[in-house]
Amino acid sequence: MVSRGEGGKRRSLSAWLEERFNLTEMFSFAASFGLFPAELDTSRPFNEALQEAIRRPLPSYGRWPRVLGILSLLVFAFLAATGVLLAFYYQPTTEEAYRSVTTIVRDVNFGWFLHQAHRWSARLLLVILLVRLWRFFFQGMYKAPREALWIVALLTFLVATHADLTGRLLTWNADGYWATVRALEVLYSLPLVGPMFSFLIGGPRIDSLVMTRFYVLHLAAIPFIMTGLFYLHFSGVRRVGLSAVARETRPVGGALKVHIYNLLILTALLFGALVTLVTLLPVPFIDPADPFATPVGARPPWYLLAAYGLLEIFPSAWPRFLPGLVIEATLAVAFLLPFLDRSPGREMRQRRLAIAIGAAVLVAWACFTWYGFQLEVGG
Amino acid sequence: MTAAWLALALAAAVTEPTGACGLCHPDVRVEHETSVHAREGIGCHDCHGGDPGATSTAAAHRGDFRGVPSRLDLPAACASCHSDLERMRPYNLPADQYALYRTSGHGVRLARGDDRVAVCTDCHGTHAIRRRDDPQSSVFPRNIPATCGRCHGAGASGESLEGEANPFAAYVGGVHGQAFLEDNNSSAPHCGSCHGAHGAAPPGVGDVDKVCGQCHSPARTYFLQSPHAAAMQTAGAPECASCHDHHGIRAATESMLESVCTRCHEAGSPQSEVASAMRTLFRGAEDEIDAARTLVDRAAAIPLYVEDYKARLEEARTSLVQSFPVMHALKVDGVEELTRRARSIAAEVESEVNGKLLERRWRRVGLLLFWFYLILTMVILVRYRRRALSEATR
Repeated sequence: MVSRGEGGKRRSLSAWLEERFNLTEMFSFAASFGLFPAELDTSRPFNEALQEAIRRPLPSYGRWPRVLGILSLLVFAFLAATGVLLAFYYQPTTEEAYRSVTTIVRDVNFGWFLHQAHRWSARLLLVILLVRLWRFFFQGMYKAPREALWIVALLTFLVATHADLTGRLLTWNADGYWATVRALEVLYSLPLVGPMFSFLIGGPRIDSLVMTRFYVLHLAAIPFIMTGLFYLHFSGVRRVGLSAVARETRPVGGALKVHIYNLLILTALLFGALVTLVTLLPVPFIDPADPFATPVGARPPWYLLAAYGLLEIFPSAWPRFLPGLVIEATLAVAFLLPFLDRSPGREMRQRRLAIAIGAAVLVAWACFTWYGFQLEVGG
Repeated sequence: MTAAWLALALAAAVTEPTGACGLCHPDVRVEHETSVHAREGIGCHDCHGGDPGATSTAAAHRGDFRGVPSRLDLPAACASCHSDLERMRPYNLPADQYALYRTSGHGVRLARGDDRVAVCTDCHGTHAIRRRDDPQSSVFPRNIPATCGRCHGAGASGESLEGEANPFAAYVGGVHGQAFLEDNNSSAPHCGSCHGAHGAAPPGVGDVDKVCGQCHSPARTYFLQSPHAAAMQTAGAPECASCHDHHGIRAATESMLESVCTRCHEAGSPQSEVASAMRTLFRGAEDEIDAARTLVDRAAAIPLYVEDYKARLEEARTSLVQSFPVMHALKVDGVEELTRRARSIAAEVESEVNGKLLERRWRRVGLLLFWFYLILTMVILVRYRRRALSEATR
């Protein structure tokens, strides 16, 4: 079909395809996931649109500090790839889960690598998303016109914690099981949200049905939502542009190539870091979950420790919903931050009050995390 | 009208095993109702005599009325039924308790007219006597130590035994008491397991090894081969108890070879040399097993296959534990054979697990190789990027 072309195979192939598909639109959609940081005119042929787009200023977000977004997407892609491979052997039942994970780690060729890489990537993803959130805050990235980007970033972090939480239970080991038990205790104690969670998950007892629900959430629902959030984020970035574009108008023309090389270097570095972590610091493989034996140090995952500490520090005579209300109010303020702080200045010294409040929240969060951690030291 | 009610109540009362006695002794009647005797239709007059149908005190306390039996007469009174084979047969109960009792320390002293000893009611209760398998019964196996401890415990009138002021407290603190009361190990001994129940008496010198040997038969066999057996007989020292104590029996560990032997044998004597040789053998093997176990746990956390190794370490542990009874023969050879076996199994396991762990170290070599190629890739990418950058700025 392409042999009839006269001006070389490649040209005729793209022309042939161009007649049948809107290549520009397809590329534009695919590039929404961080490949290309500018918008394309989808009504024009691909080559034309691309040439037009790269003539505009095109700063790369493949470099610090704007790298965190694309880095989280890369880690997410890595998680998806290893997750799919793990799912080939994994069996999501309370009877078989632990045994099947043991099989993966011990018997499957490079299964240990997949398992460990998945766990390490999950840790990295949460840390990157959290650091990114605080960078957004301290550098005033939530200000107009990036309000939506802030909300999306916050949502991405929250959804990622759910991915982490559901994943912890799936291995059905003692740590994961008890972390889930404690995490659900914390979530259920929140007013309004708690009963909702409880209804969706099916109550405080963790049985094979909860396992199935977590499995479906972990493999289908949450990755789908995460993908959507990443799409929203990167297409939003293309529309409003990267922050502080003004100071970086320099790269034009072939800058797309630079951006692609940046991404490749980043991917290689990330892969190198993960392989190193997995080989030198493997996560220990521990005993299967025993619902009748609470191990010493059974505590919720780190991102819920602060909430756990807050729940426990409140005097028991006070109503139980109070600490939960504090947690929910904090989250609500975080979501509404762009609409509460409408001053245009993005520099730190222009927003002393916001920075002070943010720093106070960060310190309080660290303190409550420490307190929550201490609660379970030495049983 | 009142009289008619009273007559009706009386008519109802006399049909019960307690008869009309409960009208004046209601508290005793209530107590008696919980007893196994009440259930079997044994009433007041069966032990106390008198006329249960009579409605006045004088009429009731007439005839063969005995009142409260004296402590001296009590065992015989109970035996009037409980030694009757014909009567006990339907309940499948033994009928030799009274005969046994008369041979016991309690019974011998009672026969001498000393009533400051345990009689039937002291252990079984008086009116509220329950079945032996009733957990509320004072002679339910788990309650036996506390029942004996009422007299043979702190502040009680029971005399001290063999210089032991509080045998009950000693038992509770010892391995037997811990196993029986704390760990709920029903095959661990209570007081009656060693002393007997109705024929309770302390075993004498020459019998102690027989009593302990009921459960610890390998230890007894090896003990009888040792010079200790004859020597203790001559010296009048109780066999097992001389080293392990009577009631407060401590866990038999190899550290006893240090602490206990020196009670009789001076340090540096040939006897204490034997003890220290056995101790060294035991500790060497135990250390080897511990080291192997740590290694296996490390491998299990990776995880590697360690089930076989765990089973083999159990085997090593069994050999090591088997060396304990052999130590009683005081022959180093026997101990050496078992500990050597334990040691060699542990060493084998250790070297095999080490081999497997070494294999994993090759992963690090792989990591170096990986980084070599990664850095190569990066160098190429950085060069290409630089070229693209210079093209863009040109």
